Amino acid sequence: MANNSEEEEQENNNNNHNNNNNNNNHNGAELERPIECTECRRPIAVHYTEIVNNNFIETAMCAECPVLRHKLQGTPHSEQTAKKADGSTGLACGNCGTTLESIRVGTPLGCEICYEVFDDIILPEMAAANRLPPRILSNKKNQPIHLGRTPGQSQEINPSLRLLALNEALSEMLKSEDYEQAAWLRDQIKALTEKRQENDEKK
Amino acid sequence: MKKNNGSDPVLKQRKPWEENENTVWLASTLSLNRNVEKFKFPMKLDAERERQLIGVISKELMANKYLVKPTLISAEQATPLQKQFLVEHFLTTESFQQAHAGEAFIIDESGEFLITLNVHDHIHFQLLDVQGELESAWNKLVQIETSLGSSVNYMFSPKYGFLTADFNQCGTALNAAVFLQVPALVHTELVDAVLEQLVDDSFYVTGIQGNPTEIIGDILVVQNNYTLGISEENIIANLRAFTTKILVEENSTKSKIRHEDNAEIKDRVSRAFGILIHSYQIEAIEALNAISLLKLGTELGWMTGITIKDLNKLFFNCRRAHLLQQCGDVKQEEILHTRAEFIHKTLSNVKLTI
Repeated sequence: MANNSEEEEQENNNNNHNNNNNNNNHNGAELERPIECTECRRPIAVHYTEIVNNNFIETAMCAECPVLRHKLQGTPHSEQTAKKADGSTGLACGNCGTTLESIRVGTPLGCEICYEVFDDIILPEMAAANRLPPRILSNKKNQPIHLGRTPGQSQEINPSLRLLALNEALSEMLKSEDYEQAAWLRDQIKALTEKRQENDEKK
Repeated sequence: MKKNNGSDPVLKQRKPWEENENTVWLASTLSLNRNVEKFKFPMKLDAERERQLIGVISKELMANKYLVKPTLISAEQATPLQKQFLVEHFLTTESFQQAHAGEAFIIDESGEFLITLNVHDHIHFQLLDVQGELESAWNKLVQIETSLGSSVNYMFSPKYGFLTADFNQCGTALNAAVFLQVPALVHTELVDAVLEQLVDDSFYVTGIQGNPTEIIGDILVVQNNYTLGISEENIIANLRAFTTKILVEENSTKSKIRHEDNAEIKDRVSRAFGILIHSYQIEAIEALNAISLLKLGTELGWMTGITIKDLNKLFFNCRRAHLLQQCGDVKQEEILHTRAEFIHKTLSNVKLTI
């Protein structure tokens, strides 16, 4: 735990939203993550202290922790664990049994139906993991999300992409007056063009 | 198809590494993840359905006209040596040692194709390319994917594209990786600055064992970061443009070293040569790092008696499974010594000329 003051600040912040929470016993020691989140690798952002019958229960969680959400919404801890035991809590896929909680901690999806069941969270989760290009994040309406092939579609890629890249690099080298590299690139382009022509003639 | 005449279908794979003369652009790999409709993803799939799936897919692929004499190897049949060999040969950043019953591999005699079944997704097509021709490699890969797709239905949604167990891979489900060996940038300590200047969020750079903080053998593995919301052509074009820039930087650094007659780099190359020919035992990573410096020395004309092709071959052959495959029965505790001897033999005619 690197930065104590920051953590405490967030903890106080957390307290403002939570009535049955008490903070004065915090000593900065290593705290346990919730049992449900043992596989979670996200950085700890919230220290949560709960007092039940004069017992202090301290837990450390990431900002998006589903357990935290349960706690903040006021579901009593005992009731929540009881519910968990019979498996009826939260969103789950009816086809394969994958739960929202398990997805939040990085377990893969179980089947194609999961993509419909968890439709609302997939894009936000991908965005949080930095796996969406800016184009999608800009969120213009009516633009397709998936680009590229559909099953069975033949999509040849033009082999001259390599030439394009070399040409682009060449013009950059000329701009920066690196004539040695420019000459090397020119040789590459020449060799590649000749090879292409040979192949075309063979065909 | 079964193993016959003692010729192991996995361990006999030599192509395409035998003839690789590449300096910077060592190789590239393209892979596609596909899943079959109506079957749950492998983690949730029971053993019976897994067998059924392998049966259907392998039947089609064994008869596929784009594969050269394909072989199916189930994970429980494969020896640890074979699994490790596949990892080394196909430059996978992931280990196959955990592969268990219900998973399988298909390889063919071209030495370029690896298809894994039921590992994370039902089908993982991978193509290895040493020609630097990402575009034609892509066209080859799509031919196989399409021909299998005419007999099984791939999971697909218009919104998410091809569906994958890990939703961070959906969309094109394409992973393209380029392996760039950049000893000049690494040893002049320019590599971080160059990457910082060139890399944006559409790529990430890692080492050959999948660890971004450990660059082994001066090899940068450049991979696409986005699979959804960008077309296959754009992924490949971006990667092509990016790697061309690194290629130019590496070459320009090399000629600078040559002009400056850089004593520091000469020293490093000489020491690397010393380690390789005088060690009694040597770890793979240490060997790979030193071999990379020898490649640099060879290119700069500082040594004779060896070619880039030989050094590339050595680069693969001194890794664990390749080494064991060539040197036969070696006891665990003798591997390091065997590797050292193997390297001495390969480098016996090499002379430093600086």
